[in-house]
Amino acid sequence: SAAAMAKFILLFLKLLAILYTVQAVFEDQVGKFDWKQQYVGSVRFAHFDNQIQSSKKVLVATEKNVFAAINTRTGELFWRHVDKTGPEGNIDALLLQGQDAVMVVGDGRILRSWEVNVGGLNWEMVLDSGSFQSASLVGHQEHVKYVAVLKKAAISLHYLSNGHQKWIENLPESDSVDYQSVYSEGKGEVFVLGLVPHSHITVVVYSIDDGEILKQFTVEAPWMPDLQSSCSVIGKGMLTCVDAGSLSLNMLDLHAHSEMNQIPLQSIGLEVSSGFRPVLVSSQPNAARPPLSEFFLQIGPDQHVLLQLNKGQILTLRDFKPAMLVSFATTGEKTVAAVMSPKNKTVNPPFLCINLFSAETGRRLLDTTLIFTMDPNGGKPEKLYVQAFLKKDDSVGYRVIVQTEDHQLTFIQQPGRVLWTREEALSDVVTMEMVDLPLTATQAELEGEFGKKADGLMSMVLKRLSSQLILLQAWLSHLWKLFYDARQPRSQVKNEVTIENLSRDEFNLQKMMVMVTASGKLFGIDSKTGTIVWKHYLDNVPSNAAFKLMVQRTTAHFPHPPQCTLLIKDKDTGLATLHVFNPIYGKKSHVTPPLLPQPILQSMLLPLMDQDYAKVLLLVDDQYKVSAFPSTKNVLQQLQDVASSVFFFLIDANQGRLSGYRLRTDLSTELIWEVVIPAEVQKIVTVNGKKANEHVHSQGRVMGDRSVLYKYLNPNLLALVTESTDQHQERSFVGIILIDGVTGRIIHEAVQRKARGPVHIVHSENWVVYEYWSTKSRRVEFSVIELYEGMELYNSTVFSSLDRPHAPQVLQQSYIFPSAISAMDATLTEKGITSRHLLIGLPSGGILSLPKMFLDPRRPEIVSEQSREENLIPYAPELPIRTEWFINYNQSVLRVRGIHTAPSGLESTCLVVAYGLDIYQTRVYPSKQFDVLKDDYDYMLISSVLLALFFATMISKRLAEVKLLNRAWR
Amino acid sequence: MHIERIPLLWLLLQATLVVTWGFNAEMDTGPSAGAFAQSNSDRFKIEGRAIVSGIKPQDWVSSARVLVEGEEYVGFLRTDGSFAVNDIPPGSYVVEIISPTFRFEPVRVDITSKGKMRARLVNYIKTSEVIRQPYPLQVRASGPHSYFMKRETWGWTDFLMNPMVMMMILPLLIIVLLPKVVNTNDPEMRKEMEQSMNMLNPNPELPDVSELMTKLFSGSKGSSKTGGSSKGARPAVKRR
Repeated sequence: SAAAMAKFILLFLKLLAILYTVQAVFEDQVGKFDWKQQYVGSVRFAHFDNQIQSSKKVLVATEKNVFAAINTRTGELFWRHVDKTGPEGNIDALLLQGQDAVMVVGDGRILRSWEVNVGGLNWEMVLDSGSFQSASLVGHQEHVKYVAVLKKAAISLHYLSNGHQKWIENLPESDSVDYQSVYSEGKGEVFVLGLVPHSHITVVVYSIDDGEILKQFTVEAPWMPDLQSSCSVIGKGMLTCVDAGSLSLNMLDLHAHSEMNQIPLQSIGLEVSSGFRPVLVSSQPNAARPPLSEFFLQIGPDQHVLLQLNKGQILTLRDFKPAMLVSFATTGEKTVAAVMSPKNKTVNPPFLCINLFSAETGRRLLDTTLIFTMDPNGGKPEKLYVQAFLKKDDSVGYRVIVQTEDHQLTFIQQPGRVLWTREEALSDVVTMEMVDLPLTATQAELEGEFGKKADGLMSMVLKRLSSQLILLQAWLSHLWKLFYDARQPRSQVKNEVTIENLSRDEFNLQKMMVMVTASGKLFGIDSKTGTIVWKHYLDNVPSNAAFKLMVQRTTAHFPHPPQCTLLIKDKDTGLATLHVFNPIYGKKSHVTPPLLPQPILQSMLLPLMDQDYAKVLLLVDDQYKVSAFPSTKNVLQQLQDVASSVFFFLIDANQGRLSGYRLRTDLSTELIWEVVIPAEVQKIVTVNGKKANEHVHSQGRVMGDRSVLYKYLNPNLLALVTESTDQHQERSFVGIILIDGVTGRIIHEAVQRKARGPVHIVHSENWVVYEYWSTKSRRVEFSVIELYEGMELYNSTVFSSLDRPHAPQVLQQSYIFPSAISAMDATLTEKGITSRHLLIGLPSGGILSLPKMFLDPRRPEIVSEQSREENLIPYAPELPIRTEWFINYNQSVLRVRGIHTAPSGLESTCLVVAYGLDIYQTRVYPSKQFDVLKDDYDYMLISSVLLALFFATMISKRLAEVKLLNRAWR
Repeated sequence: MHIERIPLLWLLLQATLVVTWGFNAEMDTGPSAGAFAQSNSDRFKIEGRAIVSGIKPQDWVSSARVLVEGEEYVGFLRTDGSFAVNDIPPGSYVVEIISPTFRFEPVRVDITSKGKMRARLVNYIKTSEVIRQPYPLQVRASGPHSYFMKRETWGWTDFLMNPMVMMMILPLLIIVLLPKVVNTNDPEMRKEMEQSMNMLNPNPELPDVSELMTKLFSGSKGSSKTGGSSKGARPAVKRR
């Protein structure tokens, strides 16, 4: 029975062990070492909420299919609604009326109305199919009650209150006429304007009440290519178009159908810059009334003219030169024009200023100048959104949002105070790296002491003493700062992060996150606080670029600065450029990267270093020639020496070809193997190697009978994922091929039938975990493959792909996962001792930390003594999702695109960054914090226990003395 | 390996379920039949309402979403908690209401090619098992999400249940209680105990526990009990 008892206790302990390996966040840790930044994407439409004077909302609809309300005081989000990605969630139009925001979504498929105060949906309507052209609010008798939606072949009118359709009418001759815009001025009519390009304009007038066609006429306009870009309605129904060919304004009164009245721009004294296409800017502040009679005409890259339509005549109110951006804004009955112009071009960074002008007269309003500087590392201003408001003395005040081409929003108040900036480029992070921070000068001094050669005992002692003194001084000043800060009220203590005070902490937990965004803007973010330390906009990045970020030199090689290289490749042409920069300061390096005239097929970072400790980057061009960067003599010499052991592979996904090459000493290449996967049947989706900075601590697993099962740790192993071209749910499949990158030997091949992608895969140590959609059971499934050498290791000192005669043992097991997946990666620690967890980004916004022990092909179906000994969890088909395992608790991270993991100086701790629409940074402890005291360590308890024990000892000693004395007396 | 066995198991499960499906004559087509009808371009909408008892919808709808089959289709909640996800082709879908604060159970909705709707409990293992749910959906929050582990706080009960403390307290209890149970006045037994005590405590320099105890207890209680105390100390010492 004792044995039974022991067994029971053992089982109990095991259970405890299992429970304890599961990590979770404690409530008091919220925000301690994690942070989240929410983004919305590049703004397409923005409207200030003007229903009340004190409103602090700006409503934005973005390229990322997000609709959000931003707090204008802080720049934070009030709420945000994230629709599905792709064209089906695309926001075509955003119209704001009172507290309702009406949106047309998915190429005119859905009409939606939002309540902007709560952020809830009012109603949603499915519209008839047909490609979307334009939408407009329609007023009637001073009230805006309807919204008109113009499609390719039909126009419909909907009630703003409930979305119900009032009427829908087919457009006449819609197959030849391209209807492009809809206009109304609150008089019971809706004008639809169509165009037969280079022929004539068609105007159809509908009655608001029943959709009856009241009038229909055509006007010759053989010069006009497009209506929306060149025309605008000005004043009381005057359609005004600008002709870039004859440089004239053409006006058509929509009420009295007549011919177009041509006014050459020269006749009103305007000179258009050569080659510039003039642009009209008009404003209709209230949908129930006609637009303003004043409008802007841009006649040069930095020249705008404010014009007025007065009794059929065009008057020039004011000529603005230079003027980069103009915008109208209305508050109450007053409409103003805001004009942005450069203040002083010679100064760097250039100053910009914005002034307000009365729209009616063109006169400058007093005290409305706003001066600010643009970030010299940012893009050019692109759009100007103005919020005008009436001050107490009835004068007009304003605030502006400036949108730049690098997707930055800056909110500026008079006289030039930047209240906040939002870096919306960060909603589209493509790749990132975490770079160690440099040591401080004192730390570097101390480190330097060990590197130098000994020069006498005495000087060593002196040096030691002096460095200890420096340390003491630093500690004292730190103490003083703590004391000083404690006396200050909380709000006054500023912990600003600047480049100067960034330095490595004792456990290397704080790093620099170098993030590359699709727009070509690079960011350096402090991982501890989330502060953007530097940003740099690369303005020549093609829109379809692929990026690869590599750390060529870390901070460990003082005094050489750290160096990162970004490979920017145009996906269509294959032509690439290199941007070399310092990851800590963001500055472009003085090292000139080589020019790459040929398309680049492959790039790789070798572990070789040049004399300045920069790792060698090899680039393979389409002639299979290899170039090195840096390419000093030293590097070329080293390359010649190791060329025979440098292998690389190329993938041609279109032809399904995977080929392996070897480097020759003259930097040419030779093909050594080729694997062809028939492209008609299946296509290569991803090829996944192992992380270069991964460490595996244990070579094997101890089995229940105390024997060792050795892992197959092939660093050259590639995991290739294929998907069938046949998408039929009965015949589709997902294939996985494990292939040795040096020899081209196929180690293992597995096929998941009745499955399709998207496949997410993690390849690490001796295992591959992948996830796919099972079409048969309509669920997400996980599969794990583990490779073992067996009970004996062939060559325990070094692994060589060329000398491994035995094929590894392959174990595989599959599981059901009760959710879809957006991204997946595995935790990574310094030495690989800590157990591994999978980090899984879910569409719900949670990031699940799933212990790898749940994905172990050795999980037994029947529990045996040995499996219990090995700590194996009995097999269960469904993997658990527990909200306690969400490392980001309620801080949802939407549309996770990637999860980046990096080791810290502590073996127990792994740094995690999840990026997608949002960015979330935290630390995880897969095996709990075994190497540092926990943050809830009870110092009080331990010291009181010690004290109590001390006193107990004293007292008992005294008692013993008394007793001895008594005995002596007896 | 294991993978071989799982599909077999599945086949078996599936086979038994097909039988139950056959009896279910009410639904004319299965969910998979709906997915076949790809030529049919009809689109349908999934409707329902999410309820969090005791909380006004205005307070939570702005942070919630309706996800159909991951993020394949997305719907939003109206200010009264109701929702409709539009433009969904026939098929079988898992509908989830996602809120960072409240937990909702997912529901599987089957749409036939004719637009017939049915809601049932999600069962990923027995995928064709039907446990009906109301349609239009009525999804009630089953409470707030629990994201956090409880910190171990210092409490008297935890302290007392600690194995180390138990190991200290139990012997103490035995010291006090055992004398009352065992006859302590037996002189032979006393002798035996004293001998064993001396064997265990060979160092005369150290204060003798039994003697200390004897003194302590004899101070207040009668001399008749002294022997008992020393005797009672025996199991305690052994345990150490």
